[in-house]
Amino acid sequence: MDRRHFIGNSAAALGLLAGFSGPARANLQKAEILVIGGGYGGATAAKYLRLFSDNTARVTLIEPNASFVSCPLSNLVVGGSRTLAELTSSYDSLSKRHGIKMIQDSVTSIDPDKKTVKLASGKTLRYDKAIVSPGVALMMNSIEGLAQANKAGVTLQAWKAGPETVALHKQLAAMRDGGTFAISIPEAPYRCPPGPYERACQVANYLKQNKPKSKVLILDANQDVTSKGALFKKVWAEQYPGMVEYLPKYNVTAVDAKTKTIKFEVQDDIKADVLNLLPAMSAGEIAVKTGLANSNGRWVNVNYLNFESTAQKDIHVLGDSIQVAPAMPKSGHMANQHAKVAAAAIVAELSGWEVNPAPVLTNTCYSFVNNKEVIHVASVHQYNAAEKTFKAVPGSGGLSPAPSTLEGIYAWGWAHNIWADSLG
Amino acid sequence: MRAKYLKPAILVSIYIGISLSSGNALAQNADASQLYKRGLAATCANCHGTNGKGVVDGGMPLINYLTSEQMLAQLKAFKSGAREGTIMPQLAKGYSDEQLEIIANQLGKK
Repeated sequence: MDRRHFIGNSAAALGLLAGFSGPARANLQKAEILVIGGGYGGATAAKYLRLFSDNTARVTLIEPNASFVSCPLSNLVVGGSRTLAELTSSYDSLSKRHGIKMIQDSVTSIDPDKKTVKLASGKTLRYDKAIVSPGVALMMNSIEGLAQANKAGVTLQAWKAGPETVALHKQLAAMRDGGTFAISIPEAPYRCPPGPYERACQVANYLKQNKPKSKVLILDANQDVTSKGALFKKVWAEQYPGMVEYLPKYNVTAVDAKTKTIKFEVQDDIKADVLNLLPAMSAGEIAVKTGLANSNGRWVNVNYLNFESTAQKDIHVLGDSIQVAPAMPKSGHMANQHAKVAAAAIVAELSGWEVNPAPVLTNTCYSFVNNKEVIHVASVHQYNAAEKTFKAVPGSGGLSPAPSTLEGIYAWGWAHNIWADSLG
Repeated sequence: MRAKYLKPAILVSIYIGISLSSGNALAQNADASQLYKRGLAATCANCHGTNGKGVVDGGMPLINYLTSEQMLAQLKAFKSGAREGTIMPQLAKGYSDEQLEIIANQLGKK
């Protein structure tokens, strides 16, 4: 009898134990998690939600494109030394290997009160947790005449890798020897700080070999080169002397598509043959439309412990759309890192655990200065609980001493590995 | 006999106590702590592969043939400057020794 009591009571106690720990994990298995956007942020978030939950979380990824095209390295396509196909990866592993439900569609609206998402196809999906990773929107209206010039095909942006990237190279290929390529850069922050300067190098590399009398004009709204400045300036002087001209504090206000004339806030007009005007940027359209962009109406403020929007509960925002902490660039590498912090935090929260109080982010960014040599910038960012932000660790991170072909090999190594880490 | 009868009751109250407070929290803390460690090691995955399994012949040095001890020694050498490199000496300086140890334990060959 005593023994029966013991067993009975123990079983009851075990039942209680199960009763208190069970529902927490059940929440993780029951929750509908929708990831909106399959770029470096969204794809990584979907995969790591599955990994960190030991394949128990229910994850759906909504992405309009059939395959993933990398923005990093796409300047090599503009310069003609690589093809877009080399930068394209399949989404198949996310569904086949990781059990993520893939929906090829666009999100037209999010209702944070009803916790639903509407798709372009007309379907409505419910969510318990939404991850919004839509990249940037190009603010075409920030430059007068840009929207029309882009529609007419006169100016291309090619700041989201795809058909415009290929078309921009074709414009270069069609340009006369002795022509001028002009790239304009908006005030920071914008997607990929060193990207425009790398593009100038890639265009110069192409022109040097094919149309050596031509010019590359860099029209920068900023006070100075915003990333890897000394390294880029040395490359322009040594590798592309007389070809690349850097003009700081040139803020573009308008473009005339007919005469290919660029107008500035202060300086005289400039004409060019191939125009690549990058307008100011904001959080991706769906983030702005949903009212998440509560930093100047442009970027999304998030809690850096879990990347939850400060505007809406249960909507987590990753990548280029967020208002970054100081020294945190808008890069694909960073978006991948945001995604892992957010995925771990969501798994912890749905399991009834505390979220990691001390997350870490790194950034690594390689820029090709010709078709082989590369320079990098790297940084490590630790969460600072007192200031509730990420801070670059003093004494860590840094730049390449000079361009090298070894780093050119590492840059491709980085690409193959981050594609596999995000999608494989 | 009486003592034997009481024992389970005490046990039950302990179980309940545990399940309501510290015991469950302890179990959760162990799982949560493991999750934090996986998250920390995942900061390396962009360049060295998910769970340290890098793309073979991808261009980036592979790390998954190293034991945890070997990996920690390399990470510390990068941090101190004893080993030269391109990015690794700069990144290793951003992690505490404790964090490097966690990373090496997570990603080292088992």
